[in-house]
Amino acid sequence: MKYDFLDSEALARLGAMPLEARQAMTGNVAGRHRSPHRGSSVEFAEYRKYVQGDDTRRLDWKAYARSDRYYIKEFEADTNLRAYFVLDASASMGFSADDDSRIQFARKLAATLSYLIIDQGDAAGLSICQEKIHLEIPPTRKPAQLNNIFDVLAKTEPSGETGLIEALHTIAEKTNQRALIIIMSDLFCDTKDLADALQHLRYRKHDIAIFHMLDQQELKFDFERPHRFIDMEDQTSLVAEPILIAEDYRKAMQDFLSGVKSACHDVHADYHLITTDQDYEKIIHDFLSTRLPKKGRK
Amino acid sequence: MPVTFLQQSLLWGLLAVSIPIIIHLLNRRRFRTVQWAAMDFLLKATRESRGKKKLKYIIILTLRALAIAALIFAIARPLVGGFLGWGGSQVDTVILVLDRSPSMEQLTNDGDTSKRLAAIKSVQQSLERLNNPKLVLIDSASASAQAIPSPDALTELSATSATDTKALIPALVSTAIDYISDNSTGRTEIWLASDLQKSDWSPDDGRWDAVRAGLIDSPQQATLRIISMASTATDNVAVRVVSATRANNELSLEIEIITSDPNRTSAVPLTYSLNGSRSSESVSFEGQRYKYRKNLPLGDKQGEGYGFVAIPTDSNPRDNVSFFAYGEHTAATTYLISEGGEPSRWLKLACAPPGLNNDRCKSLSMDQADQIDWINATLIIWQAPLPSDKTANKLNEYLENGGAALFLPPRGESDTSFLGVEWQNLETSAQGQYFIIEDWNQSDGPLRDGDDGISIPASKLKAIKRRNINGDYTTLASWSDQQPFLIRQVVGDGTAIFATSLPDYMWSNLADADVLLPVVQRMIRLGDLRFSSVFSAVAGGFETQLADGEIRSRIDEYSDSKSSNAAYEAGVWKFGERLLATNRPASEDEWLTLETDNMKALLNGTQYSLFEDAGKTDSLVKEIWKALLIAMLVFLITEALLCLQPRKSKIKVRT
Repeated sequence: MKYDFLDSEALARLGAMPLEARQAMTGNVAGRHRSPHRGSSVEFAEYRKYVQGDDTRRLDWKAYARSDRYYIKEFEADTNLRAYFVLDASASMGFSADDDSRIQFARKLAATLSYLIIDQGDAAGLSICQEKIHLEIPPTRKPAQLNNIFDVLAKTEPSGETGLIEALHTIAEKTNQRALIIIMSDLFCDTKDLADALQHLRYRKHDIAIFHMLDQQELKFDFERPHRFIDMEDQTSLVAEPILIAEDYRKAMQDFLSGVKSACHDVHADYHLITTDQDYEKIIHDFLSTRLPKKGRK
Repeated sequence: MPVTFLQQSLLWGLLAVSIPIIIHLLNRRRFRTVQWAAMDFLLKATRESRGKKKLKYIIILTLRALAIAALIFAIARPLVGGFLGWGGSQVDTVILVLDRSPSMEQLTNDGDTSKRLAAIKSVQQSLERLNNPKLVLIDSASASAQAIPSPDALTELSATSATDTKALIPALVSTAIDYISDNSTGRTEIWLASDLQKSDWSPDDGRWDAVRAGLIDSPQQATLRIISMASTATDNVAVRVVSATRANNELSLEIEIITSDPNRTSAVPLTYSLNGSRSSESVSFEGQRYKYRKNLPLGDKQGEGYGFVAIPTDSNPRDNVSFFAYGEHTAATTYLISEGGEPSRWLKLACAPPGLNNDRCKSLSMDQADQIDWINATLIIWQAPLPSDKTANKLNEYLENGGAALFLPPRGESDTSFLGVEWQNLETSAQGQYFIIEDWNQSDGPLRDGDDGISIPASKLKAIKRRNINGDYTTLASWSDQQPFLIRQVVGDGTAIFATSLPDYMWSNLADADVLLPVVQRMIRLGDLRFSSVFSAVAGGFETQLADGEIRSRIDEYSDSKSSNAAYEAGVWKFGERLLATNRPASEDEWLTLETDNMKALLNGTQYSLFEDAGKTDSLVKEIWKALLIAMLVFLITEALLCLQPRKSKIKVRT
């Protein structure tokens, strides 16, 4: 395969599972996802009184016969889903201890999910954000869109400081129609700013999914010897005795994770904390599974 | 507390203390570089850890350094104790000057060991810890130096056992200094074990100057270390027979009881033994000193006799008995060394008034001074230029042993000095004026008031000529212009009195007997105390030396004595035909301790140290390597505890 972040076998295995929106979408074509509008699907929605101008063909004559009143029978509209992949490409996404770097892992996730989305007839787009939005591919349903996304993913290399917060605000403003915003980042930014950005997206009625990507070493911080730590974003360095600061580091990390989870919970975001040593196929499987509608719903 | 080390060279190992710090610094330089994304948390953790964690790490480093230091110190075998001070461990010879005087028999706080034995034990243990340097003993009784093969022998030697003799500390230290000068002793220390009794130390003794000079100039840089056993008893009682005088069919004992407790109220039970017959009574008194007279009936017994007065054993068993012996009264013999003329006549008359006690006065010129019987002389009256050379030495020895001497000025000029004093030029009063006695000591000295309270009419004395005195002395009477008339110098157990005018009508009316007679007679009584006739002596004094053909045997029944130590013990003895009661010196019952300032003055400029804890501890020095090893373990355990990582479950990042 041309792109090393794509695994055809994994795509085949995951192909049977649809990606469902957790809320009504406003697509531009008919699709498999719920719409906030009434439409022509087979799914009955409600009765409403006839008003002048309504198409008489939609009158429920049986109801008229029973009640001697004019009722219009309405059905749910099904539409397609527009998914935006927001990929943080700041320098910190290049961090790797032993396994894939965060950016490599994110490529796999984004590529596989975009394939699945377009394969099921929905639209997928991609935003690469560094200090500001570096590249944006608007979502379309065309199969050729996959090539665009894969090319950009392949060419994207992490650099600079993160511009995730600004990117999320921009996306929230620019995307008028409801969409599924899939964020892939280490979220190493101010938690309060992140919460504000997520609230902005939520305000614009977007469905939010977050893949919070960290490395096991960042969580455990189990160094023994003194280390010089060089900041991947601004190249500042710090010499430290990990033994002395490990406890406080873990506490700070725990506080950070709690803050992020709390911000995600507030906007009903689909939050997934993942580490780069995990199996990405399982992560996608779990992601898709949890989004399947509950029993009784379509 | 000063610390010294047996292996001082190993202290260079203390440089190893820097090893943990060096390792730490090297480790800091050997860091690994990593690219890191979660920098904010790192910075936050570093900020929060900076204070307490840095302190913790400094403590860990310090503990490591301390552990190494403790190990090095332990290997260097440290000795603690104020006794040695810094650098006192390299000793080739220790000269132990041991005070064996009766006051050293005071029991220490444990109630079982005398100060003398406690000092010996401390010395033994300390010598052992100093790897047993050569040991030389100078004991206060024999005042001679003898090499001791092993410190263990100290407790077995008769030369370290208890005596009733005086310890003349300046003389003993001088002997030690002489020993150092005469022998190749290497690095030498003089260890002086003493209870710092002031009378033993004799701060006024002229030999202290020589001691100071000797210690300072000693080629071996001898250090004087004083093992002080100066703790004072609170419950000690001493008894002393001041005099034993036979009068008709009774023996009159003048007894003095001294107690260390000024608030003592209980009576002191006394036992009197006279020629084997014992009687007892209890005596109550107030104050610390009580003197009284006890008459014991002699019955028909003629000739000599002896006995003792004893009290029950207390904290110092050595001062609980006083022996006496008596015989037929022997007339006092006064030797008058004079320039002849009127003073000689009046002095002779004052010494032996016709019809009084058959006392005798032998008048000699200064050239005939070698005819003086120093042993039997009651009083020496010296109206001539002050003695020098051999005669001066004899007179000094006589005074040291309790003799009495009265000095009067020579008519002509004199340039000799004796006992540190010398006569000044003749001084004549202004025309028509006299030198008059204005102030004199009415409670002490030859011009003291009588037992009936009547004063000596010293104010009647008028003089037109006098010779003032240069030197250190105690003034007993002074002229109206504050110049001395009568002065006193205490020399050992004896007393020297100097009068500054003559019983000569060209000098003064001293011959009128208002002053001269009581002064001379009281001096005779003072001199007579030395003997209590010829039957009493100070233990170890020259009277107790065996003459040719004499054999010493103890005849009192108070206690037995060691034959090797008999010359220094109190008791009633037969020296051939001689009967002699020997007792501890009276000064031993003066429990005054030498003050620190006095000691500083005496030893000013010398290398000396005072160890005041002796008697409270077993050894003057203690090895503390075990304590240091324990300290090292404590340091290491604490370091290990501090180094323990916090449990990972304590703070674990939940994913």
